[in-house]
Amino acid sequence: MKSLRRIATAVGLAGLVAAIASAAAVGSTKSVTISVASLIPGSTQAAVDQFNARVAEFEKANPTIKVKPVDYQWTAPTFAAKLAGGTLPTVFEVPFTDARTLGDNGQLADLTPYVKKLPYFSKYNPAVLAEGTDAKGQIIALPKGAYAQALHYNRSLFKEAGLDPNKPPTTWAQLRADAKAIAAKTGKTGYAEMAKDDNTAGWILTTVVYSLGGRMEAGTGTSAKATLDNPKTIQALNLLKAMRWTDNSMGSNFSYSWGDINQAFAAGSIGMYISGSDVYTNLVQASNINPSIYGLSTIPLAKSKTAGVLGGGTEVGVRPDANAAAKAAAVKWIDFFYESPLVSKAQAIANAKTLVANKQPVGVPALPLFNKQQYDLANTWIKPFINVPLNQMKPFLTGIFGEPVIPEPEASTQSVYHSLDAVVEAVLTNKNTNVVQMLQQANSTAQAAIQQGT
Amino acid sequence: MTDGEGSTGLISTAEWHKRSVRWGIGGLQALLLAALVVGGLGPILWLAKGAITPTIDTITHPMGLFEHGTAWSNLKEAWSTVHVGLYFWNTVVIAFGSWASQLLVATTGGFALSVLQPRYAKVINALLLTTLFVPAVVLLVPLYIEIVHPPLIHHSLIDSYWAVWLPAGASAFNVVLVKRFFDNLPREIFEAARIDGAGPFRLFRSIVLPMSKPILGVVSIFAVLASWKDFLWPLLVLTNPNEQPLSVRLPSIQAQTSLGVFLAAMFIACLVPIAGFLVFQRSFLRGGGLGGALKG
Amino acid sequence: MTWVRGGGLTTLLFLLPLLFAFGAFSWYPIVRTVIMSLQHTNLVQPATWVGFKNFEQVWHDPLFPIAVKNTAYFAGLALLFGYPVPLVAAVLMSEVRKRRGIYSALAYLPVVIPPVVAVLLWKVFYDASSAGAFNTVLGWIHLGPYPWLQSQQWAMPSLVLESTWANAGATVIIYLAALTSVQTELYEAASVDGAGIVRKVWHITLPQLRGVLLVTMILQIIGTAQVFLEPYLFTSGGPANATLTVLLLIFNYAFGNSLGGDYGAATALSLMLAGFLAVFSLVYLRATRSWSTR
Repeated sequence: MKSLRRIATAVGLAGLVAAIASAAAVGSTKSVTISVASLIPGSTQAAVDQFNARVAEFEKANPTIKVKPVDYQWTAPTFAAKLAGGTLPTVFEVPFTDARTLGDNGQLADLTPYVKKLPYFSKYNPAVLAEGTDAKGQIIALPKGAYAQALHYNRSLFKEAGLDPNKPPTTWAQLRADAKAIAAKTGKTGYAEMAKDDNTAGWILTTVVYSLGGRMEAGTGTSAKATLDNPKTIQALNLLKAMRWTDNSMGSNFSYSWGDINQAFAAGSIGMYISGSDVYTNLVQASNINPSIYGLSTIPLAKSKTAGVLGGGTEVGVRPDANAAAKAAAVKWIDFFYESPLVSKAQAIANAKTLVANKQPVGVPALPLFNKQQYDLANTWIKPFINVPLNQMKPFLTGIFGEPVIPEPEASTQSVYHSLDAVVEAVLTNKNTNVVQMLQQANSTAQAAIQQGT
Repeated sequence: MTDGEGSTGLISTAEWHKRSVRWGIGGLQALLLAALVVGGLGPILWLAKGAITPTIDTITHPMGLFEHGTAWSNLKEAWSTVHVGLYFWNTVVIAFGSWASQLLVATTGGFALSVLQPRYAKVINALLLTTLFVPAVVLLVPLYIEIVHPPLIHHSLIDSYWAVWLPAGASAFNVVLVKRFFDNLPREIFEAARIDGAGPFRLFRSIVLPMSKPILGVVSIFAVLASWKDFLWPLLVLTNPNEQPLSVRLPSIQAQTSLGVFLAAMFIACLVPIAGFLVFQRSFLRGGGLGGALKG
Repeated sequence: MTWVRGGGLTTLLFLLPLLFAFGAFSWYPIVRTVIMSLQHTNLVQPATWVGFKNFEQVWHDPLFPIAVKNTAYFAGLALLFGYPVPLVAAVLMSEVRKRRGIYSALAYLPVVIPPVVAVLLWKVFYDASSAGAFNTVLGWIHLGPYPWLQSQQWAMPSLVLESTWANAGATVIIYLAALTSVQTELYEAASVDGAGIVRKVWHITLPQLRGVLLVTMILQIIGTAQVFLEPYLFTSGGPANATLTVLLLIFNYAFGNSLGGDYGAATALSLMLAGFLAVFSLVYLRATRSWSTR
């Protein structure tokens, strides 16, 4: 009996010690360090200072979290290299097109338990939240920003060509006519389109096709059907062909990528082009645009039930090998840096103040991540700080909310765009391109990629 | 025979005296010189001009000459704002490490194969020769994967300069070049040193290396030049922009940089190779001939 | 004397850097290429053996024949522009009596310019608007404006032109070195026999240079078959895949997809290229041996 009692005491004592130890561990404050994607390399010192100021504010509010900013820019090849090499920061950004597949492949951490605790979780626009939800229903990324494709035009070139800068084209026929006028009267490119092999050509072509009412895919996942060669695509390509070869209003450069076309536009050589509604930030930060020439409008939509505006955006995700503490810290950072300026008045004003102090654009039009009321409310908070020419963007701001926003093709998006690149380039560089044949080839390439899930 | 003065004798003195030859060949040579100046030097001079011309002038009148004055600020802006200075320094650091790596492998390996001549030297020589004929493309993907998942270290070498320095050493061309040079060193000196009691380390450090300055010079120049020009490999393994050399960084910043500043950045990138060439011309041109002679 | 012609620890020590460098970064990767070409790898899950499926996939890729054709086109054009011209230049230069150094320096200068700078500079020159540098100059003699890189027909020749500019100088120097090693007596004897300059070049210079000429040709072909930088930086393989080369296709297989690369296809194509070059070299050496030993 005595030995049994001794054993019991020993076990009891051990249990007590263990309980005290774990209580102490829970109570202790261990500091966790996370690395976060910061700015595009080559950003101005002012932009860097603004970012660091926000980091300081965050660390002050969260003393157990240390944040390390890392220069970051998403491009298809460099992202693949970083993913393979394991050198992504803890918190990084990917476009809508890739987030779900990365999540399905286990390359993004599951953030569902942490995200559900956010006070505004229920206010998210469900379509936007879906972009960061994988096939199993886990939330693997939160939205940083959403944009709709828009028509950017040069107001001074419009004036020079005898067009009214407050009346940008609202139909494709008008756009074609305006481009012709600009090219004829100013000698500059009337309408330019991205046509580089890095998926941007396909992206813009898809945008045009959406605005005519066409779609590139039917269905989702690996059983989706590629419909690249639909009649609307042919219509879009024939329109490009006409503008290029008959009207000669597309200038002489047919290898523009996202950055190049912005640069050329800011330099005043392009009358109109299509890109995301948020590129004004890049025009200011990278190309020093003269704000008075900038005009923003909606892309002309055809009179069709299926015509709509292509919408995209950026997601913020976390490395899958982050431990629980890091994931919690990461979600706190995402909440502070990306989401709270949209839902908290204090944060919105603080963020706007630092942006203005560092001469960064405030108030660039975007799409709501939550609902429209929240979007309007957030805009009233930052109204005193807005420093972009909003009145020159009126056609977009008044038009966009009445237009249907269509998400990008869901399956193998980048591969679909890539297979269209060559078709766009061919139409713009060879008068005698057989559009239908090339589209059929592109369609089979895209279909193969969809089936393989690449 | 170097490419200095003196001709090959293709055209005899008698022929030179003929007016038709003098004018004909002379004319062709003058034409060639003109072509070399316009074609060879021209683009570089244009780059220098563009580096200090305002962007708008370069765009609207590319063949004009300082129509609205100069813009030396392009250079300053390129160096500081565009951080060309940083990328320049990265290029220097990478070049230095690659040079050291190549020199170490070529001298020690060449010495062992040429002077020490172990029994298995034949095997290694054969392997080196086959490596010489394997096109670089074959190595690209697995070498990349190896850097990403190194077999023993279990920590990716991506974004580390070792990913560039270490593979640089594996240049079969260098080893063969140095080994051949060592082969041609007079054996008597080695004998004398050995009789004096010198061991292999002494022999290497105090006899062979000092005698090899010419070949080491050629190898060094080509190592530094090759590193300065390297593009694809650093593009793949150095994903952090702050670590990238000029060759990798320049294309990426083109869309964020105005043309004048961009040309200034490109010009700065040329300065070291051009200066090095002007100073070490002999070695360059001798090395070029050597390369041809070796492969012949 | 035991440390010569033996083995020994010292020798091994000296060989360590070489064995490490080559073993880790040359021989092992070569073996791995062969292995990976027979596997499906995506770096996340363990690799699976798929036999020759990668090779079949590459063979049936519609971009494969395009890449092969373009690479052959590039190599062919490069031979056309870049092979005879340096020879003529070198022959002329070898007979320059005063200040030949200037010729050599000018010819070699483009070679020392970093290739990235050369390509980006020529990209500016090739601006297709009438205000582009080349179009402006050609405009002075009422030619152009030409589309250069913006046309499927003009893109590849534009690439070859820049590549020739950047590389011909090295070939000139090689030829020059070989030319100056031709024995003067041969020319003297021919002159005595009454041979003119052209006959001397044809019957003495060229045959004497045969070795160098043949080696330079095969080296140039092997080099241009692996061209990557020009198509990547000038046109990204465009417009419409007009400048897509085999190396660029390999690069796209391995690194072009933001979701992860197809390393099996990339290594399979690398092996196919290497195999082709090996066979080509053997055939070439066989065919030219009969020339050299005449």
